[in-house]
Amino acid sequence: MSVTSDEEVLRLERQIGVVLRIGIAASTLCLVAGLGLRALKSTAADGFLGVGIVVLIATPAARVALSLVSFLKERDRLFALLTAIVLAELGASVVAALIFHAKL
Amino acid sequence: MIIFLAGIAAGILGAALGIGGGVFLVPLLNLGLGFSITAAAAISLATVIATSTTVTAGRVGGELINVRLAMVLESATAAGSVLGGVTAQLIAQSTLQKMFGLVAAIVALTTLARSSRRNVTHDVTLDPGILGARIHDDDTGQTAVYRVRRLPLAVAASFVAGNISSLLGIGGGIVKVPVLNAWCGIPLRAAAATSAFMIGVTATGGALIYYGSGQLVPSAAAAAVLGVQVGSWAGIRAAGKVPVRVLKLTLSAVLAVVSILMLVRGFQ
Repeated sequence: MSVTSDEEVLRLERQIGVVLRIGIAASTLCLVAGLGLRALKSTAADGFLGVGIVVLIATPAARVALSLVSFLKERDRLFALLTAIVLAELGASVVAALIFHAKL
Repeated sequence: MIIFLAGIAAGILGAALGIGGGVFLVPLLNLGLGFSITAAAAISLATVIATSTTVTAGRVGGELINVRLAMVLESATAAGSVLGGVTAQLIAQSTLQKMFGLVAAIVALTTLARSSRRNVTHDVTLDPGILGARIHDDDTGQTAVYRVRRLPLAVAASFVAGNISSLLGIGGGIVKVPVLNAWCGIPLRAAAATSAFMIGVTATGGALIYYGSGQLVPSAAAAAVLGVQVGSWAGIRAAGKVPVRVLKLTLSAVLAVVSILMLVRGFQ
């Protein structure tokens, strides 16, 4: 079993930084546009707001997925397993969300 | 617009005091603006994700955020938050308010009493192990090393933090950071930075459930997220100009008031 080197982790951290920046910029833009359109009573407002919220929630999940891919590439089984567990827990959260949604 | 202003206020307080704004935003929305406590928690979790993402995007890759440790502890915070999100759908609003009041009171007391202890050694030959790290010590200008101790305790605290985060709509750093600092050997600034990195994933577990159950109102969440972003930006700049002791006393006083208001409402 191999352990990811500190250099590889640093590379992963830089990639995570990029993912987080893109995610927050995209979601902020959508939310600002959504609120703006809402003030103008446009019907497109809800679409922008929905996309903004979904991108916001998906951003941390995306960085966990990115980490999983990186640890798998490095054959770092322990950390691949840990990130897979986190992703599975977020998956369980989606399932729970769908169940509660169906009850609405 | 009022929600945007509430977000700004919560962001300023949260950033200036070094804890997320959720502990202020939830009572503002629930007691002040008449949102149900679950709707308030949902909105607050959205702001937690935004703050965590913004703050850590610029700092990840630096030495304070311990990414390996974060990934170990996230497996516990995410489990706690999924469980908390489900629980929040099933229990009474008044029970959640009582819990919020209790947690706010505990945080107020620990803030008053907390002493920060030094955890690093300047013996650079010490192996930090797979989870420890080397950081730059601002106080002495030297390289410092820390090892993570009592990992099971850190995991347990993370699970509880994740659970409370989802149930009450706060980040949960307020639970983890003192434990990581006082008992697990992690320097305060590294513990806080690592926690800030983790709470985005933690809050996602809860936010998904609130979103699915229709309690996350997109327009209100958007206004709060933008408000908190603006507020945190201002709060971080204001924090350096106010003595820490004043900050801590203000935080305790505000939390005591929040606690009393939430408990009164919960028992009505």
